Amino acid sequence: MIRFEKVTKRYPGPGKPALDQVTLDIDKGEFVYLVGTSGSGKSTALRLVLRELRPTTGRVHVAGKEINRMAGWKVPRLRRQIGTVFQDFRLLPNKTVSENVAFAQQVIGKSRREIAKVVPETLELVGLKDKGDRMPDELSGGEQQRVAIARAFVNRPMILIADEPTGNLDPATSVGIMNLLGDINGTGTTVLMATHDHGIVDQFTKRVIELEHGRVVRDEASGSYGFQH
Amino acid sequence: MQLRYVFTELRTGLRRNLSMHLAVIVTLFVSLSLAGIGILLQQEAKIARSTLGDELKILVNLCTQDDPSNSPNCGSGEVTDEQKQRIEQEIEDNPEVRSFRYVSKLEGFDNARKSGQIPDSAISGPNPVVTVEQWPQGYWVTLKDPNEADGISSALVGLDGVSGIKDQRKALGQIFGIMKVLKYGSWIGSAFLIFAALLQVTNTIRLAALARRREIAIMRLVGASTLYIALPFLLEALVTAIVGVGLAAGALAAFQYWGVERGLAEHVQFLPWVDWGDYFQSLVGFLPGIPGIVILGPLLTLVPTLLLTRKYVKV
Ligand SMILES: Nc1ncnc2c1ncn2[C@@H]1O[C@H](COP(=O)(O)OP(=O)(O)O)[C@@H](O)[C@H]1O
Ligand SMILES: [Mg+2]
Repeated sequence: MIRFEKVTKRYPGPGKPALDQVTLDIDKGEFVYLVGTSGSGKSTALRLVLRELRPTTGRVHVAGKEINRMAGWKVPRLRRQIGTVFQDFRLLPNKTVSENVAFAQQVIGKSRREIAKVVPETLELVGLKDKGDRMPDELSGGEQQRVAIARAFVNRPMILIADEPTGNLDPATSVGIMNLLGDINGTGTTVLMATHDHGIVDQFTKRVIELEHGRVVRDEASGSYGFQH
Repeated sequence: MQLRYVFTELRTGLRRNLSMHLAVIVTLFVSLSLAGIGILLQQEAKIARSTLGDELKILVNLCTQDDPSNSPNCGSGEVTDEQKQRIEQEIEDNPEVRSFRYVSKLEGFDNARKSGQIPDSAISGPNPVVTVEQWPQGYWVTLKDPNEADGISSALVGLDGVSGIKDQRKALGQIFGIMKVLKYGSWIGSAFLIFAALLQVTNTIRLAALARRREIAIMRLVGASTLYIALPFLLEALVTAIVGVGLAAGALAAFQYWGVERGLAEHVQFLPWVDWGDYFQSLVGFLPGIPGIVILGPLLTLVPTLLLTRKYVKV
């Protein structure tokens, strides 16, 4: 589903590359943690999957397509197959919860009827059935992240990318979010989650890919965060 | 495509940046009006030249009984047939002349009355100030080359019976000169304002993109097409263009009605004037090469919008 072939990413300016000859292969339906200290290259890897960035050298394949060579006008279609969640939620503050979720469907041209059906379903899935009319700032952090996940999942993407989704949440709330991501993974969606949250990685055991200075230093099918941290 | 979002965004966008949009509209309105006036003047010069240019004539006025010119040629009072023969001979023999035509007192009087040279008050009532009898006879002399009339002028000017030579070429030349100055003045003013309009459009888009940056980020992330993201910007640009063009079209119509039909055309009757057909041409443009304001307006807002949204909205 996601394959990196000797991917190197250099940002403009001097210094070491953010990613250095990274090769990895993630199958359909997998749940993978991308771990590593801050600055190890996790976000860069995720942005390459979204084609927000292009690799300096190497190839990135997503859903069978070599996306680094994809024409610009095809990128929106790629992104419709990928849901994305961030540490800082990125909800639209002037829209209600329902409107935030519906927005992701409206702007890609889904019909009013489908939106009316799928948005409540998705809100129920993330456990916010009764909060559709709330504004984001009336919700707790955990609830806001659930809205963000609903928005990422509302178009039923093949891949869900999460960049430190529990980074702003307390441990108890994080567990709820992890359970939700686990449920989404259970529907067959491939989940790639960048994190440096030891507790979570050790508690919800999944495949772990560890980056250090932009290199893959560990890839364990069922790993812990790692003793060195 | 589902355009509900686009139209909601259009409405909030127009409201959010109302003052900027108004600035763009006003600038566009004035610049397009000036451009339109320039286009009309250009057309005016063209039709004036095409109807008068190859008819450039000089009018030879003959002496009347009490000739107002006090010319020594008029010492014997009303021009005599002998004098006229001599004058006709001179005109006929002159190499600069293509043809000439005798103008009777009545014809000259009527022409002068129609073109407003004699006010109605001067010929009405029991004791009119001007009568047909007082009006001079004359000759319309058509030149071979409108630029060469010195020979014929000097040949006629001293002849007995010639009260004066009215050379329309000078008057026309002045009018064409004024038109040219006004035309280029309009276009230069328009160009400056167009430049200002472009800067304002650019700023408006920058601000609008800033105000929408969260939405744009989400749209890109969930895979909205570039066109869809750019659409509210383009529609905003189109709305301001339409309003600006509408106002300018109205101003030009006012110019055409009060300025030309009720103004210039009434005072300067020997010139043909631009009509409503020319007005509509100034809206849609004269082919080839001169775009009308209906084309110019949207072009001025849409092109920078397209270029800038490509920059701000790029996937
Ligand atoms: N936009 C950028 N421009 C320049 N350097 C960047 C940029 N984004 C990230 N980097 C650098 O690339 C490296 C990896 O960053 P990142 O992928 O954000 O790591 P992580 O998400 O693991 O913290 C860091 O050294 C960071 O400073
Ligand atoms: Mg990061």
